[in-house]
Amino acid sequence: MRDRLQQVFRDVFDDDELEIHDAMTAAEVPDWDSLQHVNLIVAVEAEFGVRFATAEISGLKADGQNVGTFQALIEQKVRARSGS
Amino acid sequence: MTSPDLETAEQHLTLDVSARKSAFRDFRRALRAVARDPGPDEATRLALRAVDPDLGYTELMALRRLVRLEEDSASKPLRVAVLGGATTIQFVQLLELFLAAHGVAATFYESEYGVFRQELLMPGSGLDRFGPDVIVVATDSRDVSFPAFTSDVKDAESVLAREAEGWAALWESAATRHGATVIQNTFEVPPWSVFGNFGLRHPGAPQNFLNRLNAWIAEHAPPHVVLHDLQALASRAGEREWFDPRFYHEAKMPCGPESLVEYGHSVASVIVAIRGRSRKVLVLDLDNTLWGGVIGDDGPEGIVYGQGSGEGEGYVAFQRYAKALYDRGVVLAVCSKNDEAVAREAFEKRDMVLGLDHFACFVANWQNKADNLRQIAERLDLGTDSLVFADDNPAERAIVRRYVPEVAVPELPDDPAGYIRAVARHHYFETVSFTREDGERVHYYAANAKRSELLSASVDLGEFLQSLEMKATVEPVCATNLARVAQLVNKSNQFNLTTKRRTAVEIEKLAADPDWTTLTVSLSDRLGDNGLISVIFLQRQEEALVVDTWLMSCRVLLRGVEEFVLNEIVEVAADRGLVRVEGIYAPTPRNGMVADHYEKLGFECAGEEGDGSRWTLAVASHEPREHFILCERSSIHA
Repeated sequence: MRDRLQQVFRDVFDDDELEIHDAMTAAEVPDWDSLQHVNLIVAVEAEFGVRFATAEISGLKADGQNVGTFQALIEQKVRARSGS
Repeated sequence: MTSPDLETAEQHLTLDVSARKSAFRDFRRALRAVARDPGPDEATRLALRAVDPDLGYTELMALRRLVRLEEDSASKPLRVAVLGGATTIQFVQLLELFLAAHGVAATFYESEYGVFRQELLMPGSGLDRFGPDVIVVATDSRDVSFPAFTSDVKDAESVLAREAEGWAALWESAATRHGATVIQNTFEVPPWSVFGNFGLRHPGAPQNFLNRLNAWIAEHAPPHVVLHDLQALASRAGEREWFDPRFYHEAKMPCGPESLVEYGHSVASVIVAIRGRSRKVLVLDLDNTLWGGVIGDDGPEGIVYGQGSGEGEGYVAFQRYAKALYDRGVVLAVCSKNDEAVAREAFEKRDMVLGLDHFACFVANWQNKADNLRQIAERLDLGTDSLVFADDNPAERAIVRRYVPEVAVPELPDDPAGYIRAVARHHYFETVSFTREDGERVHYYAANAKRSELLSASVDLGEFLQSLEMKATVEPVCATNLARVAQLVNKSNQFNLTTKRRTAVEIEKLAADPDWTTLTVSLSDRLGDNGLISVIFLQRQEEALVVDTWLMSCRVLLRGVEEFVLNEIVEVAADRGLVRVEGIYAPTPRNGMVADHYEKLGFECAGEEGDGSRWTLAVASHEPREHFILCERSSIHA
């Protein structure tokens, strides 16, 4: 999961060196503006076959949210989909 | 030696788009390496070849970041303004990418979100300073004022009249203030209706109102307004799929990201058509493309075609689609690995929708298809970038993509039931007008073949030309021929002395200017009507008549039209009391055939003009040139 997510980040931010970590926030990635945020959501939805609610899309950039919470959210959605 | 990354990228581009999607990351990695060495230009070229509407939003955005679009100083980029009701940033990125992939260089202006009316109407706006050639009014049904639910027909009519007046004022402003072509969306009907099905009938319901508004636009939009059918695009996507409220509420995107790919591609196709860059020829394979089975093995009676099987009917449907394209003016050709006699026999012995007469070019042999396609383009006197090649065989598609990358090669699915969609979804043959000439274009090719037969039978050229009994009609630009003139001005590459592109609005303006004279020539002969084939714009400059534009359709080359036109030009100069005619040759990669045009017509070289040359002819010393064209009617001096 982490590898696939990292690859999506690298694709979207066009940076093959990008290393993501749990505590990383949107503010730390220089190109993570509102435009790239949409692109990231679209790419993650396509990669993992999940769908975010509107509040989750905007919530991602809020205080206390980071790559770790994002990944947890994706995992939760993937689990819900497979019914386990 | 080719670098391994370059080779990886080239290999990737031979694949069908469905396979390219899953290998996209490797392709992207290879392109990033290519961008470092040999360099960004090479990477851009490869990335643009990869652009396809069947790629996803994420892949296309990745390509957009890889592409370096630098202003090409040789050709003036098209100035495109996008005025949005919603956010247009991603839309513009996709539009730019699709246009670049079609070889249309463009610079963009985006209005702030939701202020398209102010931009269009107010002097001194950013749009004013930008000076657009094309204005894309990227609006949708959220930009419409609706009547109250309680409205009756009369109330709804008055709301419609007010709404219509508002759009008409914007179009008028685009024409008078900017001389720009407008691309106007139709309005998509929202996927829900509080009136349910009854909403179609009730004048106060949004469904009923939007249908009326769309019909009004289709009927009343003036010629400089080109319609983009957003309503049809949204319905095709499925209205529920089209709009993604999450991204509208969150980021004001006009539709879902994947739908935005369709939207950008579709608008790009319209702009490509305005620029005269749409494809012109559909080249068809035969076995398992126009019928099931192999004619050489199964024989005319054994192939799968027609009633009796669902699959056979699928081939009939595809032939019908090709026939409809033919009737619309798209040239058809055959490129098949077969013995020619055997391949022809299928059309002679089986009653099919397509017959041998429908093909301007029939190439069936055992050579490779890349060479055959080049040969077809040459015979039709068109560039390979005018061709679309439909073949069921992935290996043939791969060879063509590799060795003639300018040819568009759509992925055909295994099942012929999907062929029509596979070709149609690319909008290859988009058009912004349909003139008599378009409908009859396909006949010109057949007639041309006959003429060349006649030429080989004639002893000399003069005798041949005389035997054609040619008649020309010379007219100025007028409302009835404006669409065709604009089409030629924006499309002709080869016989075009200056290649100055102009919009219909600009041409109309010029035709009304007393310093200018416009000539159009239509030619017919005993074998058929060639339609309007030559356009000349002349401008008086002091004592000279300057030939600003002189272009001609290549299908009437070597028929004496040039000589005929020169006599007409000199006559205009003499009538206006001018002493000389001046011509300019501005070279482009495509118009080498007219480099010595003025020299052949007896002009003297008056020196260099930019990259090209300037030529002059004294009116007094001009002897009318010999030709075999009878001038039927001339209203140019009226």
